[in-house]
Amino acid sequence: MIVITCPYCQEIRHEEELTYGGEAEIIRPLEPEKASDDEWTEYLYFRTNPKGVHQEQWCCSGGCGQWFKVARDTVSHEVLEVTTFNMKLKTGGPA
Amino acid sequence: MSGFRLENGGRIDRSHPFRFTYNGRSLSGFAGDTLASALLANGSGIIGRSFKYHRPRGIYAAGVEDPNAMLAVRDAHGYEPGLRAGQVALVDGLEAKSVTGWPSPDFDLVASFTRFAAPFMTAGFYYKTLKWPNWSWYEEAIRKAAGFGLPDGAVDGRLREYRHATCDVLVIGAGPAGLAAVRALKGSGRDVVLVDHANAAGGALRWEDADVDGQSGMDWADGVVSDFTAEGGTLLLNTFVTGAYEGNFFTMVESLVDEGGLKGERIWKLKAEHVILATGSVDRPLVYQNNDRPGTLLSSSVRQFIGEYGVAAGQQLVIFTNNDSGYLTALKVARAGLSAPHIIDTRQAPSEAHVEAARAAGSRVHLGAHVSNVTGGKHVKAVAVSGESGQQVSLPCDAIALAGGSTPVVHLAAHRGSKPVYDEASASFVCPTLPRRWYSAGAVTGARNLAEVLAQGHEAAQTIANTGADVPQSEVMLGMGGVAAMWQAPTGNPKNMFVDLQNDVKASDIKLAARENYVSVEHLKRYTTLGMGTDQGRTSNINGLAIMADATGRDIGVVGTTTFRPPYTATRMGAIAHHRQMDGYAPRRLMPAHQDHVAHGAKFEDFGWQRPDWYGCNGTDREAAIKVEMKAVRGAVGVFDASPLGKIEVAGPDARAFINKFYVSNLTTLKTGRVRYSVMCHDDGIIFDDGVVACIDDNLFLAGPTSGNAESVAAWFERWRQTEWPDMQVAIAPVTSNWAAIALAGPKARDLLAKLSPDFDISKDAFPHMHYREGNIAGVPARVARVSFTGELQYEVSVPARYGQALMQAAMREGDAMGAKRIGMEAWLRLRLEKGYLHLGSDTNGRTTPLDIGMGGVVAKKQADFLGKRALSLPYNASGRREELVGLKPIDAPIQIGGRILADGYDSVPCPTIGNVTSACDSPDAGNIAMALIERGASRIGERVNIYAEGSISEAKICVPVFVDPKNERLHV
Repeated sequence: MIVITCPYCQEIRHEEELTYGGEAEIIRPLEPEKASDDEWTEYLYFRTNPKGVHQEQWCCSGGCGQWFKVARDTVSHEVLEVTTFNMKLKTGGPA
Repeated sequence: MSGFRLENGGRIDRSHPFRFTYNGRSLSGFAGDTLASALLANGSGIIGRSFKYHRPRGIYAAGVEDPNAMLAVRDAHGYEPGLRAGQVALVDGLEAKSVTGWPSPDFDLVASFTRFAAPFMTAGFYYKTLKWPNWSWYEEAIRKAAGFGLPDGAVDGRLREYRHATCDVLVIGAGPAGLAAVRALKGSGRDVVLVDHANAAGGALRWEDADVDGQSGMDWADGVVSDFTAEGGTLLLNTFVTGAYEGNFFTMVESLVDEGGLKGERIWKLKAEHVILATGSVDRPLVYQNNDRPGTLLSSSVRQFIGEYGVAAGQQLVIFTNNDSGYLTALKVARAGLSAPHIIDTRQAPSEAHVEAARAAGSRVHLGAHVSNVTGGKHVKAVAVSGESGQQVSLPCDAIALAGGSTPVVHLAAHRGSKPVYDEASASFVCPTLPRRWYSAGAVTGARNLAEVLAQGHEAAQTIANTGADVPQSEVMLGMGGVAAMWQAPTGNPKNMFVDLQNDVKASDIKLAARENYVSVEHLKRYTTLGMGTDQGRTSNINGLAIMADATGRDIGVVGTTTFRPPYTATRMGAIAHHRQMDGYAPRRLMPAHQDHVAHGAKFEDFGWQRPDWYGCNGTDREAAIKVEMKAVRGAVGVFDASPLGKIEVAGPDARAFINKFYVSNLTTLKTGRVRYSVMCHDDGIIFDDGVVACIDDNLFLAGPTSGNAESVAAWFERWRQTEWPDMQVAIAPVTSNWAAIALAGPKARDLLAKLSPDFDISKDAFPHMHYREGNIAGVPARVARVSFTGELQYEVSVPARYGQALMQAAMREGDAMGAKRIGMEAWLRLRLEKGYLHLGSDTNGRTTPLDIGMGGVVAKKQADFLGKRALSLPYNASGRREELVGLKPIDAPIQIGGRILADGYDSVPCPTIGNVTSACDSPDAGNIAMALIERGASRIGERVNIYAEGSISEAKICVPVFVDPKNERLHV
């Protein structure tokens, strides 16, 4: 069970009230037509899938509806950091 | 027949007597009794028959660890088989029935068979014996003889609910350790939840004779609890913590009890910052010949029955012990005014203090002795005691108390992966290494003295928050020393020594398993069924694996325990299913005109909404009605409730640019008042929705996703708005259920719409195909799109939802003279198939791109980027070997949905396939027609293919998927 305090509405939300949105910081190339097939494939399908700290997107779907970012330990399920979508996570990410 | 109610004592309310029945016999008990204590008080002897050998069994323990007392119980709220008597609070009018033994547990016919068959029914009996010719030959008879009763099939009215919570500290167990912990947390400001499975706090303080801080144990406990709740602490009684999971998340089941019985259950999903595990321990029995006879109880339960319920297990007790706790029982029994029990101690030299105290109370103490046999077939009558020198004495008795050491309740820590480690001093498995932010206190650590238990609870709490409280004190009267393990009596027949009473696993079975090399504890468990009963081997596992260790010459610690898995105790399926059953399984979404559909004989199907599949008013059988409905649309006018169709408003200065990023078609050129059909993709180029988009004005667009995707498309828009394009000035409003939509389709649709008094021009030229108008219809605000899913002149009229039924009725009233008919889903879908219009999810799958459905031209024309565009030029999408959507006409036999298209050159299966039939039906105008996804299909028009469906192969011809009005003349009338 993952419990996260939404950084927008500040409510404690349990897993059932949240929607998981996959890895965070996946950047959609600004000029898709100029991206190579490899670059586009990388953007579409390749994820870090770490054992440890994972930066991810979650939505307060049962509450205020806002998407936000979370750093979560995939081993312990511990939520290490939560931030709004316009901020960068300080925890995790490429070494 | 030995138990009885004492004159005094116990925490029962003797001013509130209850009547209840057991196997139809009317018995009495008191408020505060459990079913187990009340049965014991009434002298119940045999409470059931054992699982395999049908041996008589009696009440064995006071609580959750009892392997025997499984009964069927009916209270004011419902009936259930297989409940453990010690877990059922007695209420007035409760009916209990035994569930084993036929015709009765006292006189069981199967037992007379198993008595002779028992020698053959060893471990692995089923596997070895009932395999020829197969299990099903034996199943019915075996099932009748086994099991713990049948459900009555009725749906009970019990309340089921879920609750979610978080807390700073979860204290599991409200015994002395848990109470010392919450006491020490007083004033810490922490949000504390204290949980106990009993109906009152106190744990063993409720029945043991103990003083804490100069008061009686219970007075101290009551004080701690009242301080705790006064400070806002949450006390959950009648609550089992059933599972511990990652991230300090717990599931708990709270029984909601009222004067009628079990009113309902509440499942808690709780996440805690810190956890104090104070779950205590359960007594372990000793293993000797005929150790399962009714009248045999755990020693701690004998004390609990006296102290908590004022019930004696018998007049003359024998205590068989290998540790000091047996002496506590002797003193308790003597203090209750019963004859002083015999103590049979396996040890040569227990502490002098204990022996002296017991002797002073009148007990005879037999040192270095063990019970070698029991006499009495249906109830213990005497025990044979063997001394060290081999001499035997027989001691008459009517009850035996077993103190084989205690087993810490480490389950919850083990759920989290903490490894139970064998501790020689306490002869038990403990969990020294705990999950993060867990602390353990009390008997669960192997602690055996109250002072130590209290200090541990206090210490755990102080680690979390140092409040500077003082440690609760208890004077140790008699120290509880070590345990001299005796896993199996040295004399007696192992074939009559029961280790697991619930599953009838004997010492001899474990040795047989060892001989047959089932020596791993996990194999032992599955081969012999040791510990696999509903009691999960609480009293049997440790003895069993110790006997295995002995049989294989290994240390107990090396043998180890089996894996502990949730739930800690049986959890009702109903509690887990909660409201998600019957009508609560999924909400039935009703359309605004639902009652009108019902009134006209609609046969509903669940499409996320309850939608008419066909109408009984159009024909007596489905096919006939569908034909009538289709003909009405092609020849006159049909009225179709399209209310679930998605409606999403996209508004703002950037609305056009925003919506253009989603649809495959170019929407920059969509003029005000116009409608365009398109599809949208995920960014991998796979189609996930289709529908029309209307431009209401330059700042307001109305997207019409499919009914099934109405919510997900709105969420999809919103996600991209927030996460990728936050600078765009746009707002998204899902308004699907705000509007009821009625579609009028057919050559007379305009005439019918005119009858509904639109206050705007609906003439052919003023309101052409693929246009959108707003105004009033029948005096209410309406949004009308002239679009078509049927190939006919069609209007989709949306009015505020509250007018939906009135509009439906008005349309049918006005349309009556024109031959209007109500149209169900099936006719609607067949009409669209005649036109070859795509039905999302039927004609597309998880690989279908816009290029595969003939929208390549539209894609090529759009300059701007849209989601999915770049992926369409990735090699696998541009490979030229895609499955493409085409039409099919049969050559020999009707085409069936789901049929596989065989690769070229094959006319038998198995063989490679190149696609499948996605839609098929019989059309009144065009005969049997179908659509299919076929590899490179678009370039194979006119070719023949073989189709495999339901065991036979038929032939069909690939065609352009339009079967009616190929020039679209009917659309533009």
